[in-house]
Amino acid sequence: MKKIFCYVLLGLLCAGCQKELDLQNPNAKTIDLYWKTADDAQLGVNAIYNSLIQDGTYMRMFPALTDVRGDDFTGDSPWGDLVQVGKFSIPSSSGPVQWIWATHYQMVWRANQVIINVPAIAMDEDLKKRIIGQARFLRGLAFFNLANTYKAVPVPIELPTDKSKYNTPTATDDVLWNQIIEDFKAAKAALPATYAGLSGPDAGQVGRATKGAATGMLGKAYLYKKRWPEAAAEFNELINGDQKGKYSLMPNFRDNFKETVENNAESLFEVQFGQPDAVGGTIMNYGGEPNANWKQVSSTGRTYAMDGYGYSDFLPTRWIYNEFKAEKTIAGKSDPRLLATIASFEPDDNSTTVYGNPWPFAQTMIYPRKYTHDGLNWPGNDDQENSGINYRVMRYADVLLMYAEALNETGATADAYSYIQQVRTRAGLPDLSTTKPGMNQTQMREQIAHERALEFSVESMRINDIIRWGWLYDAAKLTELRAHDPDFASWRPGKEYLPIPLSDLNVNPNLQRNSAN
Amino acid sequence: MKNYIPGNPMKQHWLVPFLFLLFCTVIVHAQSIQVKGKVTDETGGGMPGATVKVKGKAAATATDNNGNFAIQAAATDILVINILGYTTQEVPVNGQVVINVQLKPGTNDLSEVVVVGYGTQLKKDLTGSVAIVDAKEIKKTSASDIGQLLQGRTPGIAVTNDGQPGASPTIRIRGLASFNNQQPLYVVDGIMLANTPRDFSPNDIESMQVLKDGTAASIYGAQAANGVIIITTKQGKKNTALSIEYNTYYGVDNVWQKIPVADRMGYQMLNNESQFNGGQTPAPANDPSSSKYIGNVDTDWQKEGLKTGQRMNHNLNFSGGNDNSTYNVSLDYFKQGGTFVGNGPDYTRYTGRVNTTQSKGIFKFGQSLSYTHSKENSLTFRGDVLTGGRPPLINDLIIAIPTQLVYDPSMPNGYGGTQSDRERAISLNVPAVNSLFTNYTEVDRIFGVVWAEAQLLNTNGHSIKYKINAGYDRTVARDFAFQPTFDLGFFFKQTVNRLDDNSRIYTNGLVDNTLTYDKKFGKNAINFVAGMSYNKNSALSRFGHAEQLDPNYLVLGNGTNKTVDGNLIPYSFFGLFGRLNYSYDDKYLFTASIRRDGSSRFPPGNKYGNFPGVSAGWRISKEEFIHLPKWINELKLRGGYGQLGNANIGDFRFLSLLNPNIVYNFNGTKATGGLQTNVVDPNLKWETKTTSNIGVDATFLDGMFDFTGEYYMNKTTNALIGEEIAATVGSNDRFPTTNAASIKNTGIELNLGYHNNKGAFTYNITANVSTVKNTLLKLTGTETSRIVGGFINTVGHEIGRHYGRVVEGIFQNTDEIANHAFQNARTSPGDLKFKDLSGPNGVPDGIIDDLDRTDLGSSLPKVYYGLNFTAAYKGFDFTLFLSGAGGNLINGALYRSLMHTTDYINYHEDALNRWTPENPGNEYPRLAADDPNQNGIDSDRKGWLQKGDYLRINTISLGYTIPKLNVNWIKSARVYATAQNVYTFQYYKGYNPDFAQTRAFEPGFDPGSFPTPRTLMLGLQVRF
Repeated sequence: MKKIFCYVLLGLLCAGCQKELDLQNPNAKTIDLYWKTADDAQLGVNAIYNSLIQDGTYMRMFPALTDVRGDDFTGDSPWGDLVQVGKFSIPSSSGPVQWIWATHYQMVWRANQVIINVPAIAMDEDLKKRIIGQARFLRGLAFFNLANTYKAVPVPIELPTDKSKYNTPTATDDVLWNQIIEDFKAAKAALPATYAGLSGPDAGQVGRATKGAATGMLGKAYLYKKRWPEAAAEFNELINGDQKGKYSLMPNFRDNFKETVENNAESLFEVQFGQPDAVGGTIMNYGGEPNANWKQVSSTGRTYAMDGYGYSDFLPTRWIYNEFKAEKTIAGKSDPRLLATIASFEPDDNSTTVYGNPWPFAQTMIYPRKYTHDGLNWPGNDDQENSGINYRVMRYADVLLMYAEALNETGATADAYSYIQQVRTRAGLPDLSTTKPGMNQTQMREQIAHERALEFSVESMRINDIIRWGWLYDAAKLTELRAHDPDFASWRPGKEYLPIPLSDLNVNPNLQRNSAN
Repeated sequence: MKNYIPGNPMKQHWLVPFLFLLFCTVIVHAQSIQVKGKVTDETGGGMPGATVKVKGKAAATATDNNGNFAIQAAATDILVINILGYTTQEVPVNGQVVINVQLKPGTNDLSEVVVVGYGTQLKKDLTGSVAIVDAKEIKKTSASDIGQLLQGRTPGIAVTNDGQPGASPTIRIRGLASFNNQQPLYVVDGIMLANTPRDFSPNDIESMQVLKDGTAASIYGAQAANGVIIITTKQGKKNTALSIEYNTYYGVDNVWQKIPVADRMGYQMLNNESQFNGGQTPAPANDPSSSKYIGNVDTDWQKEGLKTGQRMNHNLNFSGGNDNSTYNVSLDYFKQGGTFVGNGPDYTRYTGRVNTTQSKGIFKFGQSLSYTHSKENSLTFRGDVLTGGRPPLINDLIIAIPTQLVYDPSMPNGYGGTQSDRERAISLNVPAVNSLFTNYTEVDRIFGVVWAEAQLLNTNGHSIKYKINAGYDRTVARDFAFQPTFDLGFFFKQTVNRLDDNSRIYTNGLVDNTLTYDKKFGKNAINFVAGMSYNKNSALSRFGHAEQLDPNYLVLGNGTNKTVDGNLIPYSFFGLFGRLNYSYDDKYLFTASIRRDGSSRFPPGNKYGNFPGVSAGWRISKEEFIHLPKWINELKLRGGYGQLGNANIGDFRFLSLLNPNIVYNFNGTKATGGLQTNVVDPNLKWETKTTSNIGVDATFLDGMFDFTGEYYMNKTTNALIGEEIAATVGSNDRFPTTNAASIKNTGIELNLGYHNNKGAFTYNITANVSTVKNTLLKLTGTETSRIVGGFINTVGHEIGRHYGRVVEGIFQNTDEIANHAFQNARTSPGDLKFKDLSGPNGVPDGIIDDLDRTDLGSSLPKVYYGLNFTAAYKGFDFTLFLSGAGGNLINGALYRSLMHTTDYINYHEDALNRWTPENPGNEYPRLAADDPNQNGIDSDRKGWLQKGDYLRINTISLGYTIPKLNVNWIKSARVYATAQNVYTFQYYKGYNPDFAQTRAFEPGFDPGSFPTPRTLMLGLQVRF
């Protein structure tokens, strides 16, 4: 009896369901089946670019928190973080500070996946080279932004295959900047000047990293490290050398901030945003897990735009306004860059409206205009969060002014004039060699600083220039900065950077605080 | 159907209760007189199958199909009459030859059969912790979800929910034991549900049991860690003519709680003062000198946004049976109209059910089939439409400013809004949103169970039964959401309309095979169950989105910018299980069970887990060498140990996956990318819950009192927790789930029943109380504490304790500020004075910052209690049901936002008592825009943490059974009136002190729960 019972039982139990428990995930491939084909490599590199259009990068917070630290921009937001960053008093627990950090490292991990996995794929070697080159460029850009924003940061270049690799230590300044320079060098060597005329899935695509972009960024990295001759060599290559003629200034300054004239002759690299009716999407691309329905919009415009048209989280300082007003064009008008950068009531310059409507504010008020849709025939004001204006990471004007700076620093001050003047001429300003002939190196430095302030105001650059010129540690210059922007009154040594996010300090014992913590 | 037990009946005493129930045994003891009679139920209907025994003797019989019985008894004997679900009655014979007995419903009978999972046990033989829910009592409450009915009914089960129609409650059995899904497993007619039981009609419940510990629940293995709620639906009775019952009620719902907020004058005065103190100018709408000043609008948003809701239920039940078959067919309609102005929230449900059984020879089979259609108008809205991270709409309603119009013909939609150059307020017009937006979920659910049983062997005391139970549960849900174009002020605008029309399909197929072996020899009784269970589920989701539609033609095909999305989640379970019940002499009880479960949710190597349970019981009152006082009728000591699993971790989470949908564009041409975006823990496994339990069951004074007391200790190990990783890894998921945490809960549960009658007046009191003490034993291993918002989770202490600064008072003058630790350069008189508790070196440092935070108290209720009083007198019946909890503090988002200083939203009336130079108090700080002193930060300032203690009068009900109707086709009729959620004694200034604690690390945070309405109902029950 008992035997029968046992047999019946065993029979039942052994009709097991082992196989039924090994279910395939029908939604997505596991990653061990990936990185096998040329398609995988191409899709992989495309995915890195997506890190550029999130809140922590160029979609909003990276420009916002970089711009607000400059002496030309100040926080005017109910969102305390945005104001505190401008006042150099942001705590390390700040969300936006963490987003910039996290999204840039997201870009690094994505680039690392391509750089490490693609070499083993059997595929067209030229395409492979371009793919890895783009990954090197984007990784270099991520490290470059991190280095300028946080000063001392980890440099993960391996894949986080298990927990033991999660806690990358803070790198030395040499390791960090060597990595940036090596990445841009590798990118420069691997990338084509243009994707037009190539064969492959990327043929003819505009917006991918190019040799010119890598050259410009390499030069900029040298410049930031004060390696003047090397910097000058790279810029010279773009202006007078092998890559001469590839880039030029757009006749109209504002073209650099319009949705209609994107990827133009002046642009070395720009982040591609697009409105939903052009590139689709229903879900805001602030961050999180990417989804096929993500939009690809910038919300910098709405963040910067004035009351009634945006959140008006920031205002230009009166100093930068006055700086624009200091010099008239040859035609006796205000510098056209003023009204491309700042929305101001200027009847003399035929500017009395905002967004096509009569100026609604006090006539003395000024608001940001660069990267907003003010004056761009924007159909309405409701969906400015859906801005499609590409973010210009590097313009040829920057190459010209950086070349002038590198020349001046190497002692060739007189040679700097012509490159500065190209930028001034586009703005209609008189010839510098006539108005200020024979400047010495120090005077030229001042002149370049002035030119950069006007040309690149509200382009995520000003605070980096201030830092690298050492103005914060020069008592006279610091006094000037405080006069430009009262935010600098609460600056304390070391606080010019964003603090290393507290959440990472809490979990990574190998991570060091920085001077802003 | 009569059987006779051979041998000396006295020696077979222990067998009697078993065999009565299994075979409807009748023992004739040839002696004395014959007593005849009829056993009837509370409605007067004859009750077939009731046992009638002579107390202390072996004589016993069962009533026939009409409830009649005949038994031999001595004139001085006492008859004991019992049947499942009714209170046992003892009637002295006193020489009578005809004794008619009317039984009262009740559940405290020890010979009650309890469904314990893959079998049944007598209540007296239980060794594990099983709560038997009084199905009749819970049905006196009206709720859209079965789970809500459990609140306060049995000790150890904490049910929290808000008053939103159709919302599912949160149920926590014996403490906070997981950071993940804590919903218990529902087993309906033997089928483990993969979904909530919302779509079942409470009217169909025959019995409900809750398996609370590992001993009882380990038979359900990897799905039982959160406890198991076993629901058995109604069956017809054999040999019963068609019985038709109609139950109905109609009720009205009202939000009886009013949150006291400022009116226009108060709002404008407070807001202007706040702006002034913060160095700002007043908003034009609040500035009497402005042309945009609003002096003629004073909206009472609670009055405008809330309305009287209606609810009703119609239930028609047909049941009966003959010798070989039974049937029970029911139709049910339930509607809860909701109390919000606009489209919902409301809930409507149609249910149909057919249950049948058949038997012939050794075979029995049956089925239960139910179909439900429900529609819930929900109150959710999309964050990308109403930007700015809005709170729950109920909070938005209450914080709206009184100077905003509800209706404004000059606005495009006819609803009032605010402007940035007028009110400056980001204030949402909730009646407008709720009227303009359409959000609903329609559910169609088919749930079918078929079972068959064969008595393979039944000789010489051996019994083997085989049973197959197969179920299929398919739920199709449609989630429809349409937002028209709207202009509700400067912050809430949309120029394109959007439609989301999504569907979800859940299927759950399950097959169980069980063999049950019973054997009795000498004083030994063995019951052995072995079986296997295979369960396959899937969840298919499809999402469709379209924009710019003609509002009269709301189908996806009519829109532009159309997008689709979807995913499919399959999972499967396979379990082997066995359970041995052994008893000796009806005194010593022993149960051992084991289940081995495998799940697709875990990686190879971790797929299987073993879940054992052992328990033992000792019926001391049966022990001959122990002489208990006479007034103790029954005394049982029991205890057990068991392990359970929690597999509710989501699916495929151990796999590193490709995300192939990473978008970008090259100069406007869309491109797609793909790579890995998240790191995962490839070695995920079950959470394991180990439970220990000891308990006492007793009845005293001939059943006048019954008592259960239990002590439990549960320990969850390998609890799943997100382990924070450095953002430099690059993973989007910065908290990959891993098995690391450990949580302990201990507590005592007491349940006391008192049953008495004074002549025709009978009454019952059931009281229960339970305690819970929670201890976090481990987080991720490297963490000693985790601070999330205003909460700290420290190893060695309970989960989610409030955390923040300590308030020492309010600065009355600038000297006090100067002499105090530095808070902020703009700290002014009227601001809170925070205590300097610590600094970077662990000692007070003269600076108030995050280092000055400390433990501010508990989030978790320490005690839960319930009290149910029922009484009957002649045709009247009365119920009073109270429940409550306490010992916790609540961080209520609604109150804190109403006591704000920063935004342009309305104020709680408490803000009128704020500090001003003329009103220097020490309770409420001054108002100052931008809150420079951070008065709003997490602290113990007055009102920031409110006592969670409450006592709710859940139900007061009075019924009257009409004694004899002149129409003979109506067998009985009862009318009743019920008041539900009558009143809550509470300190809490939000709506629900028993809000659902759904945030793992912040259990004491109430983001804003929907008010539970007061319901007044009239009902009718008729039997034909």
